[in-house]
Amino acid sequence: MRPRARIGDGAVLLAAVATLVFLLYPAVVIFSGSLQTNETLFARNRFDLTWGNYRRIFDAGFGTYLSNSLVICLAATIVATVVSVMAAYVFSRRRFRLRRLLLTGVVAGQWFPWVVLVTPLFILFARSGLTNSYTGMILCYTAISIPFSVYLLLGYLETVPRELDEAALVDGCTPLGALWHVVLPVMLPGVVATATYAFLLCWTDYLLALALLTRPDMKTLPLGLYQFFGEDTTDWGAVMAGSAVATLPALLLFLPLQRWLVSGLTAGSVKQ
Amino acid sequence: MTLPARRRTPRADRIFVALMLAPSLLILAAFYLYPILSNVWFSLTDLSLLKLRRGGSYIGLANYAEALGGADFWRVVWNTAFWLTAVSVVVRLLLGMALALLLHSQALLRLRLRTLMRLALLVPWATPPIVAVAVWRWLLNPQAGGVNRALLWLGVIDQPVAFLASTATVWPAIVLILLWNTLPVVTLTLLAALQSVPQELGEAAALDGAGGVRIFRHVTLPHIMPTIAILSMLMVFWTFNNFAYVWLATGAGPGRYTDVLATEVYLRGFVDFNLGSSAAIGVIMAITMGTFGLIYVRVLGRRVTS
Amino acid sequence: MHLVRALRATLVALALACGITAHATELTFRFNDPDVTQIRAALDVFEQQNPGIHVKLEQMGWGDAMSQFLREAAVGTGPDVLHVAFVWPKDMGAAGALLPLDKYMAASGGSGDYIAMDLATGRDGHVYAVPWTVDCWTMVYRTDLLQQAGITTFPKTWEELRAASLKIHQVTGKTGFGFPAGSAASNGIWFLVNYYWWNHGKPLVVNKPGGGFSAGLDQTDIAGAIRYFDDYFKQGDTPRSMLSVSNWGDPAIIEAMASGQQAIGIMPPANFKQIAAAWRARNPNGGDPPLTTAEVPTELATSVVNVGGRSLAINANTKDPDAAWKLVQFLESKPIFTDYYTSQLPARKSVLSTLKFPPGMQGYAQQLATARSWGPYADGPIPINTMWNATGRAFGSAFIGELSVDQASEQLLSVITKGLQ
Repeated sequence: MRPRARIGDGAVLLAAVATLVFLLYPAVVIFSGSLQTNETLFARNRFDLTWGNYRRIFDAGFGTYLSNSLVICLAATIVATVVSVMAAYVFSRRRFRLRRLLLTGVVAGQWFPWVVLVTPLFILFARSGLTNSYTGMILCYTAISIPFSVYLLLGYLETVPRELDEAALVDGCTPLGALWHVVLPVMLPGVVATATYAFLLCWTDYLLALALLTRPDMKTLPLGLYQFFGEDTTDWGAVMAGSAVATLPALLLFLPLQRWLVSGLTAGSVKQ
Repeated sequence: MTLPARRRTPRADRIFVALMLAPSLLILAAFYLYPILSNVWFSLTDLSLLKLRRGGSYIGLANYAEALGGADFWRVVWNTAFWLTAVSVVVRLLLGMALALLLHSQALLRLRLRTLMRLALLVPWATPPIVAVAVWRWLLNPQAGGVNRALLWLGVIDQPVAFLASTATVWPAIVLILLWNTLPVVTLTLLAALQSVPQELGEAAALDGAGGVRIFRHVTLPHIMPTIAILSMLMVFWTFNNFAYVWLATGAGPGRYTDVLATEVYLRGFVDFNLGSSAAIGVIMAITMGTFGLIYVRVLGRRVTS
Repeated sequence: MHLVRALRATLVALALACGITAHATELTFRFNDPDVTQIRAALDVFEQQNPGIHVKLEQMGWGDAMSQFLREAAVGTGPDVLHVAFVWPKDMGAAGALLPLDKYMAASGGSGDYIAMDLATGRDGHVYAVPWTVDCWTMVYRTDLLQQAGITTFPKTWEELRAASLKIHQVTGKTGFGFPAGSAASNGIWFLVNYYWWNHGKPLVVNKPGGGFSAGLDQTDIAGAIRYFDDYFKQGDTPRSMLSVSNWGDPAIIEAMASGQQAIGIMPPANFKQIAAAWRARNPNGGDPPLTTAEVPTELATSVVNVGGRSLAINANTKDPDAAWKLVQFLESKPIFTDYYTSQLPARKSVLSTLKFPPGMQGYAQQLATARSWGPYADGPIPINTMWNATGRAFGSAFIGELSVDQASEQLLSVITKGLQ
C-alpha cells in the first residue's frame, strides 16, 4: 500500500526534478540527435528527421558489436562477481596470515593507469593467442573488475553483522552454506551495485578493446562507435544513434535488477 | 538443509580460505603480473614504440630523473592531484550522498518517482565517455550551446562563456563532464549501502526523539562508513589515473594547462613514441597511489579492513 | 612405360589442381576511413577477379592506428595490407614493420606518376608504401559575408587576410577567420602555422647543405607567427572559444560556417563538402551555397601548402606478399576512385590533372598543383608527431598567457634544435 504524498514532499519533488533534468538532458540531446540528419544536427532552427542513422549503424555491423558486447560483458560480470564474493567473504570473515598482503595485492593493479599497461598486455595476449577471442576479452574484463568488486563487496560485508553467520554456523551450516543462505540475501543490494559497476565498466571500455580486438566480427560497442570518428569528418548522426543503442541494453538489464536494491535485513533476523 | 553440527578443523578452514581466494588471485596474477613487471622494466630502458621488437637498452633511472626534473612536472602533478582527483572526488561524494539519500527516501516512494529516478541514474553511466564529452562540449559551446543559453536567460551571466577555452573555467568544466558520467556510480554504491542500514535502528532512534539529521549522523553514517571509506579510496585510484576525460575534453590544453599525469603518459608513449619515459611516469603514478593507499588504510584502520 | 608416365603426369596434375583450390589465400586489409561499404563493394570485385584470394576488411580510427600497428608488427601479427598516412612509412619502415616494395614497383612500371613518392621512401632508400589518395587544405570563404563587408577580392597576403577578417567582424559582427587554435596532439593550428612559415619562405625543418638537418627559422620568426595569430583573438574577430577547438572539422567550425556565423575558414575538401551539404539542407531552394575556395595567402610568388594524403603499405609479416601486392595494385587502379572511393582524390599526377572539381572547389585544384610534401620534416630525426604536438602546445600556452610570446617561441625552438642534433 503506497502512502499518500505529504506537503513537505514539495522540496523533494523539486530536488528530484532538478536531478532528472541534469541526468537526462544530455541523453535527450543524444537521442534527438540520433533522429536528425548530419546536415541539421547542430542547427538551432532546423530538424530534418530521419531513421537513416540507425539504418547506417546496423549496416555497419552494430548488431554484431551489440551481441559481442553482451556476451563478453555478461560473462565477465558474472564470473567477476562470483569470484569476488568468494574472496571478499573470506577477507571479511577470516583473519589469516597473508590477509593484509593479499588484500594489497588485489588492489595493486589499480595503482597503474591503463594507458601504460596496454602495450605489455597486448604483447602478453598476442603471444598467448588470446587476441580477437571471447575467452581473452572475458578474462581481461574479469581481471579489471575483480579489484574494486572485492573491495566494494568487502565494504558491504562489513555492514552485515557477524552474528548472522555465526548463528547459521552454530545451526550446522557449512561456511559456504552460511554465505549462500544467510549473508548473500542480506548483502544483495551490494552485490547488485557491484555487478552493475562491473558490467558498465566493461560495457564502456575502449582502451583494452581497441588493443585486443581488431577483427570486425569481434568488435564491441565502443569500438563500433569510434569507427564513425574520421580524421576530417565525423558521422555525428551515427555516433548519436550508436550511443542510444549502447545505452538501451544496459537500461533493460538494470530494470529487473534494481528491484533488489532494497533492504534485505529483516527485523528479528539477528537472535539476541 | 543443515548438516549435524561438527567442529571444523583449522586445517579444513585454511583450505576453505585458500579455495575461496584462489580463483581471484590466479586471474589477477595471470593478468597483472606480466604487464606490471614489464612496465617497471620498460621504465629503466630507452624503449621506443618504433623499436618494440628490438627492445630498449638499459639506462637506469634516467627516465625518472628527466621526468621529475621537468619544469612542468609539478604543475602536472598539481592538476592531477587537486583538480582532477581531490575536487572531483569530494564533489561526487557529497552530491552522491545527497542523491542516494533522495533515492532512499520514503518521500520519493510516495511521489512514485523511485523507479524512474533509478533508471535515470543509469543513463549517464551507460553513455560512452567519448559521446558524453562530445555532447557536453556542444552544450558548453558559447555560440550555440544549451548551458550558455540557459545561464544567459537566467541572468547569471551577460556574455556567453567559453568554458573549455578559458583557464578560469576549464577545470570546473572537465569536472562537470566527469561528474555527469560517473556520479551514478557513487550514488548507486551509497544507495546500496543505505539499504543495509537496519530499519529498526533508525526507528528506535526516532522513537527516542532524534530528528532526521541526527539519525543520519549517528545511526546511518557510522553504519555505511566502510563503504564510504572504500569507495573514496577506489575513486581516488581511478580518477588519479584517469586519462579519457581530460584527453577527450581538452586534449590536455589549452597549451599545457590541463595536462595531467595520465595524459603525459599517453603523450610520451604514443606521440613521442618514448615508451620508456611513459612507463616511468606510470611507475611514479603507481608508487604515489600505492603510498596513498597504504597511508589511507593505516589512518582509517578499522573502518576499512577491520 | 608410357602408361606409367601418363599415370605419373595425371597424378601430378591432380595434386596441383587440389593444391590450388585447397590453398585459398586470406588477406586482411585495414582501412581507416568511414567509407567502409564502398570499399567492401570494391573488394568483392577483387575477389571475383582473383578466385582463391579472400579479403577481410578491418576498420580502425586514425588516432590509434599507428600505435596499434606498431604493437602488432612487433609480435608478428597485423593486417596484410594497411592504410597509412603519408608520413608514416619512413618510421614504420625503419621499425621493420613494412615490406620493401622496390621490386614490385619496378615490375609494375615505376613510381613516376605518384605524388609525394619521397614520403613513401624510407631513410634507407627502399620504397615502403604506395601513395594512394591526396588532399590539401585551402581557404574557404562565405561570399555573402565578404560582400556584406565590402570585400571584393580574396586576400593574397597574410596582412590582407588579417584586415579582411577584422573588417568582416566590425561590419557584420560575425566571426572573421575561425581557425582551430586548440593544443591537442593532432591539432589544426600546426598546419596553419606551417603555411604561414612556408609562405614567408621559412620552413621549420630544412636540409643542411652538408647533410643533416637544422631549423629553417629562428626565434623571431616563431614569435612573429604567434603574435600574428594572437592578434585575431586580441581584436576579437576570432572568438576565444577557438582555443578549445583542435580539430579542423569540429562542429563549432562547420556549424558556424554553414549558418553564416563565420566568414573565413581553412580546411580540406571533405569539410568543405560538409558545410556545403549543411547549407543546402537548410536552403533547399537556394541554389548553390555562397561558399568558395581560394589559395592560402602568401608573400611568395606562389602559394604553397603541404600535400596531405594516404598510402597503402604491406605488412612485413605478411604470409603472401604477392597476393598482397595484387590487392594494392587493384586498389590503386582508376575505377576505384571513379566508382567506389569517391570521397578522395587519387595520388596520381596523370589522374589529378584531368579531374573536375565541384562548384566552389576550384581553390583545391589550384592549391594541389603547387602543394609540397613535408620533405625534411619526415626525413629528419624528430617524429612529426612530436613537432606537431610541441607547436600546438607552444602556441596555446602563448594564447592563454601562460607563457610569454618569447618564452613560448624559445621553448618550441629548443625542442626542434635539440631533436635535430
